[in-house]
Amino acid sequence: MANANAAQAFVPKERLSDLQLVALNGMFDERDALSVLRFALEELTSHPIAMVSSFGADSSVLLHMVAQINPHQEVLFLETGKHFPETLEYVETMKQRLGLTNVRFLEPDTSDLARFDPKGDLWQTDPDSCCHIRKTEPLDAALKAYGGWVTGRKRFQTNDRGVLPHFELTSDERIKVNPLAYWDFEDVKAYRAEHDLPPHPLFNVGYLSIGCAPCTSMVKEGEDPRSGRWRGRDKTECGIHFDVSGKIAKPQAKGQSMKTLFKDGQFVEDQWRDLADDDALIDLDHVFMPFSLYIEHKDRLVGNNGALGLIVQPGDDVHEIGDDVHRFAAIAVEFPKFADGRGYSSARLLRERYGFDGELRARGDILTDQVQFLRRCGFDSLVVVDGPTRNALENDAIAGVSVFMQPTGRDIEVPAGTRPFLRRVK
Amino acid sequence: MYRYDEFDAAFVRERTEQFSDQVKRRVAGELTEDQFRPLRLMNGLYLQLHAYMLRVAVPYGTLNSRQMHKLAHIARTYDRGYGHFTTRQNIQYNWPKLQDVPKILEELAEVEMHAIQTSGNCIRNVTTDQFAGAAHDEIIDPRPVAEIIRQWSSLHPEFSFLPRKFKIAITGAQQDRAAVKFHDIGLMANEKDGQVGWRVFVGGGLGRTPMVAKEINDFVPHEDLLAYLEAILRVYNLHGRRDNKYKARIKILVHETGIEQIREEVEAEFAQLKDGVLTLPQDELDRISTYFAAPPFAADADDVLDAEQHALENAQYAKFLKRNLFKHRQPGYTSITISLKSVGEVPGDASDAQMDAIAELAREFSFDELRVSHEQNLVLPHVKKSDVRAIYERLVEIGLAEGNAGLISDIIACPGLDYCALANARSIPIAQDIAKRFADRENEFGELKVKISGCINACGHHHVGHIGILGVEKKGTELYQITVGGDATEQAAVGNILGRGVTGDEVPDALEKLLNVYMDQRENADEPFLDAFRRLGEAPFKEALYG
Repeated sequence: MANANAAQAFVPKERLSDLQLVALNGMFDERDALSVLRFALEELTSHPIAMVSSFGADSSVLLHMVAQINPHQEVLFLETGKHFPETLEYVETMKQRLGLTNVRFLEPDTSDLARFDPKGDLWQTDPDSCCHIRKTEPLDAALKAYGGWVTGRKRFQTNDRGVLPHFELTSDERIKVNPLAYWDFEDVKAYRAEHDLPPHPLFNVGYLSIGCAPCTSMVKEGEDPRSGRWRGRDKTECGIHFDVSGKIAKPQAKGQSMKTLFKDGQFVEDQWRDLADDDALIDLDHVFMPFSLYIEHKDRLVGNNGALGLIVQPGDDVHEIGDDVHRFAAIAVEFPKFADGRGYSSARLLRERYGFDGELRARGDILTDQVQFLRRCGFDSLVVVDGPTRNALENDAIAGVSVFMQPTGRDIEVPAGTRPFLRRVK
Repeated sequence: MYRYDEFDAAFVRERTEQFSDQVKRRVAGELTEDQFRPLRLMNGLYLQLHAYMLRVAVPYGTLNSRQMHKLAHIARTYDRGYGHFTTRQNIQYNWPKLQDVPKILEELAEVEMHAIQTSGNCIRNVTTDQFAGAAHDEIIDPRPVAEIIRQWSSLHPEFSFLPRKFKIAITGAQQDRAAVKFHDIGLMANEKDGQVGWRVFVGGGLGRTPMVAKEINDFVPHEDLLAYLEAILRVYNLHGRRDNKYKARIKILVHETGIEQIREEVEAEFAQLKDGVLTLPQDELDRISTYFAAPPFAADADDVLDAEQHALENAQYAKFLKRNLFKHRQPGYTSITISLKSVGEVPGDASDAQMDAIAELAREFSFDELRVSHEQNLVLPHVKKSDVRAIYERLVEIGLAEGNAGLISDIIACPGLDYCALANARSIPIAQDIAKRFADRENEFGELKVKISGCINACGHHHVGHIGILGVEKKGTELYQITVGGDATEQAAVGNILGRGVTGDEVPDALEKLLNVYMDQRENADEPFLDAFRRLGEAPFKEALYG
């Protein structure tokens, strides 16, 4: 195998340095999950990597991959004593279906249980401690023999996991491998269908993420898949995925109350909202409406007196509304991923070609390095959730250059003295 | 050669400081790899199989001796004593440490160099004819326009997150030595009604889906060129595919949409941009052109090589004279190709000592100028014919006197499985085997371009090799597919695949079979391989290879 040979050259001796980890993530950036898992289990370190499974709603994918690589691979399962009976049943189903021969149950320490949770109701009063004795402690003990472990975590599951990489270093220099980091719900669904993998019995009745019975509830349509875990509590992870510092690798700024609109040099209250499904198209005021909806109903909106806003997604052709720009008080251009640069062209067309002079807002995956480009293309407000970018904006420390090699239509870019024709200074 | 003024210097300094700060934050763990990735990609820092790779821009392949000395110094101090010149006329360092990158960038800035936009989905370094400003067949020196495009495309706010990378090549000569028809945009000088302007080609490229660019406009005047480029880029940025990275280059857009419709859209956009702020004033073009004024050639330089006698005595030198000199526009002068393809060496690699020695040759003999060619060689563009012998002797001392430019051993090869995470097969050992096998006979074969890629991404340009070799992996073994008839010049063609792949060991034998057909069936010794192939068709070659 050429790829295996290629990977071998990289095998770290003892523990990985930060730099090696960076390189490792780069190497596997565009590799499939099976390659990541195979590399982790067979080649990554001289110490074995543990395979941990919750036998939960979407554990079947990784288990199926493990079975392909080596059905005798040890699979660790945290038997907390609080699982749904369906989960334990599912463990057996999967063992048989995939031919897994080595599933090991990790149970809580009996003296811990006697001491801290004699009645078995600790979850009601102190779920963090409950997780600690039933999950974190047993797993930590089991993992001592390992150089790291494999998890089934995925980026899409919660906001906190939004930047999850394939390989992470824990603070005790062990490695956490997330082969499914880049998978989304559709990928999991497709994989399960392709390999005809049985779902967790509770999945079909609305449990999208399954933990212990007392702390898991059903997830409503449109909710974050993990929102059924510890519902109603300020808790999103059980602790086994925390770093020693008590934080997840990279917490995202979040919360309803946070001001995310940056305008005129500060984060301000947003006066605008997006059109809701049940909004009637009358008396809209400070409401952004989707592009296609506007096109469809533009004639009906002629008499709307309130401030109208428009959402431009990548792929929306702003030439179609070019002559109508004066009808909008604000236009929000979406950047679903920072790498999708269509919004820059849309912005310049709106500003320079069609003379739009209202608020031009950039929303989505806005990072510090884009801010200067966005401003130069005509944006005057930004919706930002990324922590470092927010800090940079607040401290007026946005990365950028003060001299420009090409003109855009911005007023701040005036020809400076005798400078050659293309250049501008801020 | 272009010199930075304080404006350019400020631009590079600020950008370097900015990126250095980001690197420091990455090393300190303040940035995750995910946050760092988009930043490093805009700044030429890649992850390869073993380590980071830093790619340094050599704008349109032009260097002076001070810069070359600096590149040597960086190879010596921060890398393993060598650098790798690329098919994009850049130089790559394969072993820098992340924590050294800020220091390297500072050192580069001292000699007006940087790594900006050598990676990422932005407009990359503009490439051109390695003999620009020296070639006998030039309609116009392309470097002033290349420099203007460099400036316009540097940190362009609208075009820094394109669907995919974007490469522009420009040539001012009649013969295309810059492979412009295999670039996203190719510009060829064109004369019309006594005016010089640009034929614009769009949608060329190699990679998984090789395409010859289509002409979108046969004459764009200098003054409109930037507006025209901006129109093309805007159409591409808005409409290029973003759903599949392998279908995201402009060649796919042109192919799927059709050149007629793309032309219509570009012309509509151009009509709006024309006569706007991007209009290039003649005095600015003149101002930039003064940087590229011809050096003070000696009018009375002797127009014969004084070395004929030596050549008779020394077959290696005779071969060098025959292969590595290129006809200069100025009587008494010539351009010398320094081959980085010595038999048994890694194509495109130069050691720090070699770089230092070459820098000195440029300073002493070539008005302080050097070029990097897209065929991964170096060029001394303006050399007195009477100095050729002395230069040759100096090249012998540093092991770079191989007289093989354009011959079978002058191979373009990608790094391959030995260095690259994407590769399926080795490239460099194959190139070395071929060079060794045919070293004795390569003169007989005449001009023959062999190009090797270790995977379908085609970094070794195998599609346009007269003989192309593509490494593939089938069921765990490395196999090599052989193509014939590719051509990167103005007669652009993509090579034909002859049949099933052969193993690495069999590659030299396979080439021998193809060359036997050529030697047996060529009309005479003056008919090059490619012409013979075009006349004979692929049948006899296929027959020889597969029976």
